[in-house]
Amino acid sequence: MVTRRLAGFLLRSAVRRWPAELRDELSREWQGELHVLAERGERWRMLGFAASLAVSRPGAPVVDRARFDARARRTAATLLLAPPTCLAILVLAAVVSNGLVAQVGLVGGRTVPQALVVSALTAVLAVWFARRVGRGAARTALRGRLGPALGVVLPIALTAVAIEYALNETTDDLVRAVPGLVVWLTGLALVLWGVGTLAGWGRVWAAWCLGVLGALVAADVAVVLTVVNHIPAGPDTVIDGVAQGDTVDRISAPLWLFTCWTDWSFGLPRPTREELFLIGDLVELQPFLYLACTPYALAYVVGAARSAGPDGVPAAEPVASPA
Amino acid sequence: MGVATYVEFRYSAVMRMTIPVAKVLAALLADPEAPRYGLDLMKLTGLPSGTLYPVLHRLQTAGWLAAEWEEVDPVAAGRPARRYYRLTPEGVRAARPALAELRALAPDGRAPRGGIAPTGAPAW
Repeated sequence: MVTRRLAGFLLRSAVRRWPAELRDELSREWQGELHVLAERGERWRMLGFAASLAVSRPGAPVVDRARFDARARRTAATLLLAPPTCLAILVLAAVVSNGLVAQVGLVGGRTVPQALVVSALTAVLAVWFARRVGRGAARTALRGRLGPALGVVLPIALTAVAIEYALNETTDDLVRAVPGLVVWLTGLALVLWGVGTLAGWGRVWAAWCLGVLGALVAADVAVVLTVVNHIPAGPDTVIDGVAQGDTVDRISAPLWLFTCWTDWSFGLPRPTREELFLIGDLVELQPFLYLACTPYALAYVVGAARSAGPDGVPAAEPVASPA
Repeated sequence: MGVATYVEFRYSAVMRMTIPVAKVLAALLADPEAPRYGLDLMKLTGLPSGTLYPVLHRLQTAGWLAAEWEEVDPVAAGRPARRYYRLTPEGVRAARPALAELRALAPDGRAPRGGIAPTGAPAW
């Protein structure tokens, strides 16, 4: 009885390794053979029959290799090209904002804040791009929850490091940016993992809420860390009786990401104009990079998780069936 | 690896001739009209189930082998219906020269290592 059950278990395991369309017939056929062996009382042969099938290579690939390869190539191309595209969006937004600000000049007697224009344009373009990529994510080759999250984050990390390396003149400048990037990327990966889990359960709205809030927190913490590491809290250095304005009060820390995007302190006393300048001058590109990449990252993971379902396995592509 | 272990035959672009494939073909060609089922073929070829069924699947995919379910009342027969395999006419036409070429490729005309003749010995 035990050997029959064990053989049955091995057969079920063997059947699962064959393509889905063959499983029913193979299972029926093998169960029939097993029955004959069991009736003869040939227990060891029965076990050998089932074990041999369970450990051998199936006669056909479980997935269509050509289709899987095409899917893997598409996934790799999307994940590798998306971060440079986000960067291109940021560059485009910067160029367009230059033109806009030069055209509009003053509004109500005040200069139009270019950071705000860059952020708005970047956000609009990034969301547009994210919608396009999110639809394609349903055909991702990445499995599970961590796969899509890491698949998205690692190319972003490469792009971010490459752009920081290109922009900074010295290695010291690059090292200055690294802690913030590490915190942002780690936080983003964790957020994407949570987003994928929620979206896989069908809780898409909750996934988006977690994603947006979590990504904002990760980006904000990254900016705060960079500023805290490199700008003292005070008091200001005084030279010849003149305060140098080289400090940033920590009280406004949670706002620093948003002040970078808007170049505005939201009517609050902190951060001051000098502090806004110091923060923006230090973090430079990073907040805008976060803004450009985050919509794509969230949309891709949500799209992948929705197609995969609760078990995290991507849906099969539709296959033409004979008439 | 024997000289004939991996031989790409001109007969079919989809069928790679290996020793297990040759054994199955030889067993089926011994009496092309006789339907064979899995345990029967395992006994004839000496192949374990984990080798035999993938070979059968490959032969079916290539169109060399046809399979059909036995029409039997399981209660009356005291066992489930068997799935019988038989070479298709195309399979018979392709398998004969393929096996002959395989034998010819073996040193001194001997059967390649492992043999392709039906063994009659069960292998599990």
